[in-house]
Amino acid sequence: MRRRGIPWLFLLLAVGPVVLGLGYALLYSLGLVGLLGRGFTLEHWGAVVRSADFWGALGLSTFIAVVTITLSTALALAAVLRWQEHTLRGLRTYAFYLPLALPATVMAFLIFQWLGDAGLLSRLAFALGLTNSTTDFPSLINDRWGTGIIVAHTLMATPFLTIFLANLYRSERVREVSQVAATLGLPPGRVARRLVIPLLLRQGRSTLLLYAVFVFSSYEIPLLLGSQSPAMLSVLTIRKLQRYNLADIPQAYVISVLYALLLVAVLLLWLGWSRYRRNTALHEA
Amino acid sequence: MKPRLGSALLFLLALFPFAFLLLLSVSQRWVYPDLLPAGWSLRPWGDALGRGDDLGVALLTSLLIALTVGAVGTLLGFATARRLSLLPRGRRWLRLAYLPYVFAPVLLAACLQFYFLRLGLSGRVAGVLLAQLFIVYPYAVILASSFYTSRLRDMEDLAGTLGATPVEVARTVSWYLLRGPLAIVFFQSFLISWFEYGLTLLIGVGKVATLPLKVFQFVNEANIFYAAMAASLLVVPPVLLLWINKRLLFVTR
Repeated sequence: MRRRGIPWLFLLLAVGPVVLGLGYALLYSLGLVGLLGRGFTLEHWGAVVRSADFWGALGLSTFIAVVTITLSTALALAAVLRWQEHTLRGLRTYAFYLPLALPATVMAFLIFQWLGDAGLLSRLAFALGLTNSTTDFPSLINDRWGTGIIVAHTLMATPFLTIFLANLYRSERVREVSQVAATLGLPPGRVARRLVIPLLLRQGRSTLLLYAVFVFSSYEIPLLLGSQSPAMLSVLTIRKLQRYNLADIPQAYVISVLYALLLVAVLLLWLGWSRYRRNTALHEA
Repeated sequence: MKPRLGSALLFLLALFPFAFLLLLSVSQRWVYPDLLPAGWSLRPWGDALGRGDDLGVALLTSLLIALTVGAVGTLLGFATARRLSLLPRGRRWLRLAYLPYVFAPVLLAACLQFYFLRLGLSGRVAGVLLAQLFIVYPYAVILASSFYTSRLRDMEDLAGTLGATPVEVARTVSWYLLRGPLAIVFFQSFLISWFEYGLTLLIGVGKVATLPLKVFQFVNEANIFYAAMAASLLVVPPVLLLWINKRLLFVTR
């Protein structure tokens, strides 16, 4: 006998916390609950929308997510194009799987030790006579462009995306399709540009988008490697929440709600666009 | 460059972070601009793990939380995946499981702090367990759903039709077909909990010290050698899992 009711446990544990959390954040941000709750007000929303910190954080988070996903996808594609269906063979298997064992906390610590003013790279530069002191070494961490954050995320994302794209390469039978195209006279360079890369990117676009969201909302890496201003969105939110200035707390909740709205909008647009593309393709077929 | 040499170099590059962490954890005095530390010693490892009040406790706390959250998340995840597979719009329900990830775990924790304070769970292991379950459980449901196929359901139905009791169906059919996926989901759930930082920090308010929190604490104290030690301990379970079977860590369905 199959039960077809509402999955209450699922709603309670997966959906409930998000609804409760967002509900509280929304009420707090509108002045309806909390220590500073003096009745309905849009004052905190106005303060966030007018603040340079918020727009700086939004811009930096978007910039880092886009640059990271572009760089790591390019590197992963290069690896898959180079080794094709043999990408995950022999020593390369471990080369791509081992970095998955490094959590964000550890990666942040490693980049801190490698790229810091007195880090490994700076010491190497000194040993090679390229610098005379720590101040000669360029700031690669805690800088306004998030260089260290991008490096850390790229080092984490590239092996993951390589494994993902290599699996796609196999499951989508890209080698066979490429062979057909080559037989029909398409030169190898164009097979890669016109066929393999578009095919892999189209099949993997949802995962790439989800990974970009993951980078956009990351916390541990920018906490250690990011600058004070602009900070990434998660860091800015938690910082406002933990400040001694109570007036900052409602603003932290405003940013949380705005963040959720923004991502829901992006995902809905994505779903709509994917559906439109699918329908168009079906119509053309 | 010969292909094998390229692969060997890539492998050595992948090993470098682990070697660096281990060497840093047994280092003593590493002053700029020295390329290598002034000395090496295993004593800090003995001190840190033997004292019983610092890194050792963090290791045990992390293990306790990750094992519990991993086990509970896996069991509930499979039970829910089975339930969703029976629903006409199960796939649509499943989309909701992505919510905690879209809404970053650390922001989720920030918004849930009030409730944990009210329930007296803030700053307690029980609170961290529950909060981590909120992100591990949806992931376990998503992953378990990819294994809960119509073929499996048909096999269960067939056994039932042939007279097997629900317990016998679970023991002979479900367990036989799902023991591999159960291990995969458990290991993945364990790792999410094992690596979790932001949510544990906010709900545990720093009182529930796990290994990721220790890494940050030592970095903030400028004690890079202890930070490297905590980081080394943090990467041991995933590396062991890789050693056992690389397929357990990454599954594409």
